[in-house]
Amino acid sequence: MNATRGHLTALAAIVAAGVAVAFGVRDQVTLELIFTFFLYAVLGQSWNWISGYAGNISFGHAIFFACGAYASGLLVTAGWSPWLAFVSGALAAIVLALLTGFPTLALRGHYFSIATIAVAALVEVTVRVAPGLNGANGFELPIRSGWSALEFADKTNYVLLALALFAAVQLATIGLERSRLGFYLRALRANYAAAESVGIDERRWKLLAFAASAVMASAAGVLYAQDTLFVDPPSVLGLSVSIDIALIGVVGGLGTLWGPAAGALVYVVLAKGVALHVGGSGKGYDLVLYGAIICVIAALRPDGIVGAIVGRQRRARGAAGPDALAAEPT
Amino acid sequence: MSARVLAVVLAAAFGLTALPGGAPRAADPPPDIVIGSILPLTGALAQTGAGLRAAQELAVDLVNGHVSYPLPAVGHSGLPHLGHARIRIVFADSQGKPDQARVAAEELISQEHAVALIGAYTSSTTATASQVAERAGIPYLNSDSSAPGLTTRGLHWFFRTTPSDATFAANFYQFLTDVAHARKTPTLVKKIAIVGEDGLFGTGAGDAEAALGTQHGYTIATRIAYPATTTEVNAEVQRIKSAAPDAIMIASYLPDALLFMRGFKDQGVTPQAILAQDSGFIDPGFVRALGPDADGIFTRDVFSLDIKHRNHAVPLIDQLFRQRFGGKPLDGNSARDLMGVLVLADAIDRAGSTAPEAIRTALVATNIPGDHTLMPWSSIKFDAQGQNIGGAGIIEQIQDGKYETVWPFDVAVKPVIWPMPAWKH
Amino acid sequence: MEALSTFGQLLVAGLLTGLVFALVAVGLTLVYGVMDVVNFAHGEFVMLAMYAGFGLALLGIGPLVGLPLVSIALFLFGIVVYRLFVRRLLAGPPEASVFGTFGLLVLMQGLAQALFTSDYRSVPNPPFQGTVQLGVFALPQAALVEGLGAIVLTAALFAFIEYSPVGRAMRAVSEDRTAATLMGIDVQRINLLAFGLGAACAGAAGALLLLSNPAFPDVGASFALTAFVVVALGGFGSIAGALLGALIVGVMEVLGGYYLSPELKLVPVYLAYLIVVLARPQGLLGRR
Repeated sequence: MNATRGHLTALAAIVAAGVAVAFGVRDQVTLELIFTFFLYAVLGQSWNWISGYAGNISFGHAIFFACGAYASGLLVTAGWSPWLAFVSGALAAIVLALLTGFPTLALRGHYFSIATIAVAALVEVTVRVAPGLNGANGFELPIRSGWSALEFADKTNYVLLALALFAAVQLATIGLERSRLGFYLRALRANYAAAESVGIDERRWKLLAFAASAVMASAAGVLYAQDTLFVDPPSVLGLSVSIDIALIGVVGGLGTLWGPAAGALVYVVLAKGVALHVGGSGKGYDLVLYGAIICVIAALRPDGIVGAIVGRQRRARGAAGPDALAAEPT
Repeated sequence: MSARVLAVVLAAAFGLTALPGGAPRAADPPPDIVIGSILPLTGALAQTGAGLRAAQELAVDLVNGHVSYPLPAVGHSGLPHLGHARIRIVFADSQGKPDQARVAAEELISQEHAVALIGAYTSSTTATASQVAERAGIPYLNSDSSAPGLTTRGLHWFFRTTPSDATFAANFYQFLTDVAHARKTPTLVKKIAIVGEDGLFGTGAGDAEAALGTQHGYTIATRIAYPATTTEVNAEVQRIKSAAPDAIMIASYLPDALLFMRGFKDQGVTPQAILAQDSGFIDPGFVRALGPDADGIFTRDVFSLDIKHRNHAVPLIDQLFRQRFGGKPLDGNSARDLMGVLVLADAIDRAGSTAPEAIRTALVATNIPGDHTLMPWSSIKFDAQGQNIGGAGIIEQIQDGKYETVWPFDVAVKPVIWPMPAWKH
Repeated sequence: MEALSTFGQLLVAGLLTGLVFALVAVGLTLVYGVMDVVNFAHGEFVMLAMYAGFGLALLGIGPLVGLPLVSIALFLFGIVVYRLFVRRLLAGPPEASVFGTFGLLVLMQGLAQALFTSDYRSVPNPPFQGTVQLGVFALPQAALVEGLGAIVLTAALFAFIEYSPVGRAMRAVSEDRTAATLMGIDVQRINLLAFGLGAACAGAAGALLLLSNPAFPDVGASFALTAFVVVALGGFGSIAGALLGALIVGVMEVLGGYYLSPELKLVPVYLAYLIVVLARPQGLLGRR
């Protein structure tokens, strides 16, 4: 498909640029920003699978991010290899997704969103009181270096890893849009009653998307832990983390391939840019700006940045109206 | 089509970020010695961060100035052993988040070429920022984070002037012993209830208090951890009431502190003493909201203007600070951070060099007598783990709506009122 | 028996706590009922009201006298927010209102911090600090006043929706917007009034909450989170449901805190929500 070829080309370009930057840029702070960008793009995309494509808006996505982060914290502190965290974090994420998704994915609209908040709150309490998870103290990872320890003094390899994860996730999403799962999700999101009436099992397909999205978020969590070297409930499980993830997806555009990347770009530029230039006076101007931007986007461009572009494209091609739920892939 | 355009835009965006010029790089005149400071300058702790920043900037001016006070490194117009080079602090924002603190530390080291780092107030941000310093082989001095774990990590470059939760808990028990002694009874308190919010602050304080209490032979009648943002504490108060403790040790922020005090009053919980760990209990809103019911409550603090008889610089520095920070007086946070900069400047001066290892050696050799600090400490002297062993808290009691230092007895300005008076109805 | 009297005390405390949650929840459920919007910034409206009440207190105007003033101020604020912002959100896809109101939440918290700083603002010498003894039960005066306020507010709102012409129009709009338009109801105006009314409820809640809570930028979030669960439990759009849900949540939180542990006190609340919503997806008394 022409559109797909375009996306693959774009992805290849980004990977190439990313590799060049990873090796070319020597400033550690800039590299850290780029690492953060890819990480948030992955998180946003993982959220996008369930909230955008499937249409179940989640405000508790941090729990999956925490699966990977805590897997890292636990394993490394116990002397195991952090690479195992990708596996164990993914497993934990899948189990958690199935456990919590099975009862809740059939809930409509706001009920689901608040259910995700309830679930996330339950998970957070569990982590705080469960023995062996260190409660409020969290885990501090020891300082190491090298591929086997998955820690590096120089940020280049972190950027490469995040880039690889980003590429994998984008490829998976391109695949999703062209796959049967993607088709079913779009149908369910457009009109679940009609979809069910032609035999699309909502629970089954949404669970699949949910589990996949959980695995992606968990992988991002592992990279986060290996970079920050610190994991505790507020930084990986808090409601604000879930909200940050959701806002990245929204600003970029729900249910679009490149939305999360666009949202992550805005977030990184804004959060860091504002903090650098406006912060320091003790006031909350950075929050004011961020909030204002979200309001403006919600009011004027509710499809998000990419959603607006896609909508305009579709209208140019003569599709019937700017409905983001139209049944063809971007 | 436009997907490719988007790709080009994104690729170009990376290219742009690769250009130098994130934080504006100041042109350093050769003699200036740069210290990097990580503070929560934005976010929920922005207010606190601003106060800490003001204190640190005041310290810089004191070091670079020529007015002498009985404080280390002050009044010598810079660092004498480095040709009177001036010190300068470059601030980076942690936003109160551990991953951001990390970036801030990296920025200060790689872009600003700081010779040492200070910060970062919350224990979790200090943890990550100091790890960056450790990797880079740069000294890190913390003056305001109390989690005991920070100095038991085995870091080579980490030093901490402030006492930790373990010391503060020890202060409580020493206080109880001292009061019992003064009253000529073997012990006043047998059962203790430990209450704290469920975050790092409350848990750290509670863990230290529980461990030491058991060690000293007290009965921990109940241990309560509650969600920090809770809007009611009915069950917690009932549990404490059922436990009938002789003393309650509590670590709370202001809203929960108020909920608890009012709950104790309403439900008739009347221990001999309520011992609070700072924070909500020394917030100006505490006395304002409780009125006469605040009287009799003890709180641990790290600093008080009452210690002015130990070092006449205290009220003078307090005045200077008020001028800088909207009339707000010097408090535990600002005093500690100010001292932290002075200690670091003193070490760099004694090192006679900005080489990390030299500064570190000088820090290890630090030995500042307590009356040459702004703090109610016996000294500033680091142990093998980088923890200052001369530090301790003080205990204040609210009497007639004012915080009066009552312990240690040699810095006390008022006697202890024991037991605390009954709740006013 | 002491255990029984403790249980009784906890039960009463739970009900009083629940009434406080109801205070915050009724405005939220009203807005949803009429225009299908969950105002995620509702907690920030309450926070704004608390600051307004604090300001009045500094001028010597007590919280009870200030209550109508604050409610009116918040009503006007709600009208403005609707006109300038929420109306546009309604024109977009359903997600727009979710994220728009979230953006409003972030914006308002940021403004509060920028304008008022993150200092805690507690009313000096607040009224109603005593305790009322009812047999073996000790009831804080402030909680009683708040509880009474909640009952009055809920009853008044319910009566308004049931019996007044505007209220009937609101019910019509919430049941079937298209039909209501066809019947000649100006839906935009009804939306506007409903949003303003919801904000006014938040205003009343804030003014009363000031009796036992300081104002600070994040205070809204603490109450709002529970309010969302309450509203969803009771059924979005149902005022009686909000009251019922609030009482249930309050009792569960307090009893859970005592018989389980304070750290786990919200667990039964969230579990109860999940169970009810699974068994009865529209909430206890909700319609759809």
